[in-house]
This record gives sequence, C-alpha cells and structure tokens, in this order.
Amino acid sequence: MAVAAPLILVVAVGFAAFCLFDLVRIPEVRYLPKWVWALIICMTIPLGGIVYLAAGRGRVEQLKPPIADAHSLPRCDRHAVISRRPARSVPSPGAGSIEVERLTKRFGSTTAVDDLTFTVRPGHVTGFLGPNGAGKTTTMRVILGLQAPSSGAARVRGRRYQDIVRPLHAVGTLLDAGAAHPGRSARVHVLSIAQSNGIGRTRVEEVLELTGVASVAHRRVQEFSLGMKQRLGIATALLGDPPMLLFDEPVNGLDPEGIRWVRQLFKSLAAEGRTVFVSSHLMSEMALTADHLIIIGRGRLLADTATEAFVEANAHKDVFVRSPQAGELRQELLRAGAGVVADGDDTLSVTGMDAPVIAEAAAAHQIPIHELTPRYASLEEAYLDLTRTSVEYRAGNAGDQADEAGR
Amino acid sequence: MTATDAPGATAPSISSRAHDVLTSEWTKLRSVRSTVWTLLIAAITAISGSLIMAAAAAGDGKQPLDPVASIYFAWLEYPVLAVGVLGVLTFTSEFSTGQIRTTFTAVPRRRSVLSAKAAVVGATTLVLAETLSFAAFFLSEAILSRHHRGVSLGHPGALRAVIAAGVCLCAVALLGVALGAIIRHTAGAVVALPTLIYLPLVLLSLPAPWGTRIGKFTTLMASYQLVSLHPQADLLSPILSLLVLLAWPAAGLLLAAALISKDT
Repeated sequence: MAVAAPLILVVAVGFAAFCLFDLVRIPEVRYLPKWVWALIICMTIPLGGIVYLAAGRGRVEQLKPPIADAHSLPRCDRHAVISRRPARSVPSPGAGSIEVERLTKRFGSTTAVDDLTFTVRPGHVTGFLGPNGAGKTTTMRVILGLQAPSSGAARVRGRRYQDIVRPLHAVGTLLDAGAAHPGRSARVHVLSIAQSNGIGRTRVEEVLELTGVASVAHRRVQEFSLGMKQRLGIATALLGDPPMLLFDEPVNGLDPEGIRWVRQLFKSLAAEGRTVFVSSHLMSEMALTADHLIIIGRGRLLADTATEAFVEANAHKDVFVRSPQAGELRQELLRAGAGVVADGDDTLSVTGMDAPVIAEAAAAHQIPIHELTPRYASLEEAYLDLTRTSVEYRAGNAGDQADEAGR
Repeated sequence: MTATDAPGATAPSISSRAHDVLTSEWTKLRSVRSTVWTLLIAAITAISGSLIMAAAAAGDGKQPLDPVASIYFAWLEYPVLAVGVLGVLTFTSEFSTGQIRTTFTAVPRRRSVLSAKAAVVGATTLVLAETLSFAAFFLSEAILSRHHRGVSLGHPGALRAVIAAGVCLCAVALLGVALGAIIRHTAGAVVALPTLIYLPLVLLSLPAPWGTRIGKFTTLMASYQLVSLHPQADLLSPILSLLVLLAWPAAGLLLAAALISKDT
C-alpha cells in the first residue's frame, strides 16, 4: 500500500489538473489568476493524502509488519542469531530438521506468531495443530521465506529457506490448494514449477501418476474440486523428491479415501527418514497421522509432545454405572478408594477404578447393576480445553501469564 | 551458515539457474489464455488501425508534414494498452490467485523471478511488435503507394521509425510488468498503466514553454519523436527519446525489484 500512495496522488493531481484545463479552455474563465492555479494544485496534494488514508489505512495494519520491527532491526543481529547456533549446539544441528527460534510475526497491532520456538525432526510425522487463526499458516510462510519475521528466525536444514538453491529438491511444500493459476492446465502448472528447479517432464508425469491426477491433468485447474487441488498441491510438493515436506491443511476437501491415502503417504515418507510437517486444525486427524504434536494457540506454543504422551496425559477415562441402588454402591466404591460422582438418581460416574473391579464390588455386596460402560474423553476435548485455555490467558493480563501460556 | 550447508547439495551454475527460471516463466506465459487474447487484440488493433488510417489518408488527398508519424504509425497508441495489460497480468494474475506463493517457494530469489518475467514478456512482445510494425508499414505503404504518396523503407529515417514502433510497444509491456509487480492487484495496475502513459499528456497543455519542456519526457511524446521522419526540434532527439522511453520501464522495474521482497 505504500506504493499506492504516490499513485493515488498522481491520479488525484492529474485528475484535478485535467478538470482545470477543461475549465481554463472556456473563454470567459481562461485567464485564471496564477494564485488560483497554485491554490488548486496545493489543495490536490492533501486531498490525495486523505483519499489514501481513507482507502489504504485499514489494509496497512492488516498486511504490513510495522517498519520498526521488520526493517529497522539491524541485519547483523539477525545473522548473529543464525550463526550463534552451530557454536552452541552440536555441529550441523539441522541436517534434516526445521528449526523455529523465538519467532515473532506481527501484522500491525496484531501478533500472529508470538515468540514461538520448536524443532521438527526427521523420520517423524509432526502435526502442527491449532485452531483457526492460531498462526500455523503464518509460521509456515515465514519458514518458507514468504514473509519476513518481525523477530526471531526460522531455519530449514540449518539455513534460511531463501538461501537454498533449487529449494524443491530440499523442501516440498503444499501451502494452499488454491495456489495455482486457474486458467492453466494441471500438467503445465506442475511442469512450470518443475522447470524452475531443473526437474524434467518424466518426473512431472511420475508425481501426477502418484497422486492420481494424471487422468485429468490436461484439464484446467479451475475445473478441479478442492480435493483434486490438494492432490495437485501434493504432486508439486513431491516433485523434487525432497527430504523434507511441509503441508498446510492437506486433508481439507479430500474424500475419505483420499484422507486415508494421504495418511499413508505421510507415514511412508516419514518412514523413509524424511521430515514431514503437517498442519491441521483437526485433532482427530492428527492423532491418527502424527507421531509428534506441536500445538499452538494465538501464536504461542501450547504443547510440544509425542502424540502418545499427549493421548496418555489427556485421555481421561471414567466408568458410567447405572444401578437401582446407586447410593449404596457409591458408598461401597468410595470406601474402596474410587472417585465417584452421582450423575442422577440411579447413575454414577466412577474414576480411578476399572469396570471389572466395580462389577466385582457390586456383586460382593449384592447390588444389581443395569449398565456399566467405560468412557473415554476424546482427544478433541483435551485439545479444545488446551486451546481454550490459551484464549483465556490472552484475555487476561498477557504480561503476567505469558510464561504459563508458553508452557 | 557455511558450516551447516547440507551435504550433497549440488550448486548449479548461474546460467543453468537462469535457464530454469526463464523456461519456467516461458511455460507460464504461453499456457494462459490472457496472453493469447492480449496479443491478439494488439495485432488486430495494429493491423486494422493501420489499414483504416492509410485508407483514410489515401482518400483525403492531403499530404501531411510527417506521413510516417501521422499515418503509418497513427495506430500505435491502440495496442499499447493490450501489451501493457499482458505485462501487468504476468504478475497480478499470480498475486491474485496465490500462485505467487508457489512461484516464490520454488524460486525464493524473487528478483530472478522479476527479471525472468520481464525478459520473457519483453522478448515476446518485441518479436510480435516488430512483426506488427513491419506488417503495418508495408500494408500502409501498399495502400498509399497506389496514390503515389508512399514513403519507402529506404527513405531516411523510415527504417528507424519502423523498428522504434516495435520498441515502444515492448517498453510499455515492460512498464506493465513493473506495475504489476509493484501494485500486485490487477485492477489497480491496469488503471495505473494508462494513467502513467496518457495522463502526462495533460502536461502538454501547460502554458507555452512548459508544455514541451515537461512533455518531452513522457512516453507518448518520446514514442512520437521516435516514429517521426522529421523529429520536432523542440522535443528531444530520437536517441534521447529512446533513452527516455526506456527509462520509464527501467525505473519501474528498479522500484519493483526494491519492493518485491515484501510479504506475500
């Protein structure tokens, strides 16, 4: 928008001048005093400014990082962050990994990513989870050098993405499924990307075949469904046979068969030792696909954990019991050390005791049981709890609670 | 950073990288319909324009002072917009569809993308515009010579004018590329293009010395000088006019190169 300003000015000044000349040509007003000219020209400039402010200001805040953060940060500082790393840790720390270090990205007054640090390691499918607007896409764009970080750094295989020559051989990406010119055929779209990295036509046909797009590759991208576009995006990601892959919401719009295919694809890519980094807002999907989870909310890191550990820690279970003598059973179970909550007149939810033990206890005291159901809290709920908390932290005093939210 | 360079990474030479980006951009340019449409419109306006102008001039019997500028290339301002829009669309169509992220992810050196696009669009329009320019000249010549009023290609300055007409179109296409990269929105850039080309004409109406003093630096007056048999004395010489004409896209592309690293 900074560019639009002078343009709008030019248009405004030009238009005013144009009107003026028409006016001047009418004989009776032809000889306007010079000061009127000066006045009118002087008026058009602030007028252009006002038009610019009215038209452009809102967008500026949305789209542009504040200059103070993105640009006035001394360049040497940013390099210091990059070069300090190898000295501090093992040599070649990121041979196959993605490292995000204290990454912050602001858009005007909005902080999309807030002091985010994590590492994605090879040989695993790493799920990148967060509700809509959590900053997943922004983080991925910063990793890929599409957006400049306000502070902090993101490195791919130990260096900035922008410094990789022919990056498709190093990192495959699916950023968003619509990121293709709608008027081009799918085959030519993939070919044009392949050519930019010196990849030949044979490989183009291979990936089209592999992703199931080959039979419709002659059609224009605008005729594709969202699911087909996702497959096309995955095809471009696989072009360079890269050791590292980033996918932003790859299962959106895929049919169940496609989702299963993608899941298996990710797992096999990871099994070959590649780094697979997949963002999603669906916990249930990631629980099935990912070995490791990085969960963010409001741009902050909420959890960085193995999927199994997350499941174990969060999938609380209890046992639902229905009995005509619920009160008596409750007393017995409490005595035995279980946690019991009476849900209704004849129903209990029991924690800390497995269903067979409850049944045996009831039998021992001759209490009839009508229903005995083990219940598992869904991961989805655990995830919602986690991300909801982050929202609450943000609503409170961010300064005091920032550290807690970060954990 | 050198310590952490990935082992086994091949470093292709600069020329092969340039070749990659150029072939990629060429594939992109020729695979969208807008390219065909804009170039077709350019061709139709140029050829039909030259036919109409020549036929009209042949009919009215007056011999203007400078037949090359006022008859042979009087059509020049029509295809200008078409090739300019072609230049604009090479960038804005990518920005508006999100394709640009795919492009910049594949080629993170954005200035290579800018120069490759400019080179491909420039070469394509130059070839087409020179073809049109010669075709239009010979068409006009064929019509006018029957009335014994033709100006042959061997006439001093005629060849320069014919070649220059093609260069003018190419320059506008490059200006379009620059505007597309700077403004990033099709509508904005398509409006800005004629604004930059035609609006300075207003300056020509400025009071006496100022009209030409400023006006000679506009793309249109520079083009006019280039395609004239007898360049006007109060404007710049053809050589300087050529420099002025090329300075517009050059300045635009420099600004685009400075701004292209903005977030996408």
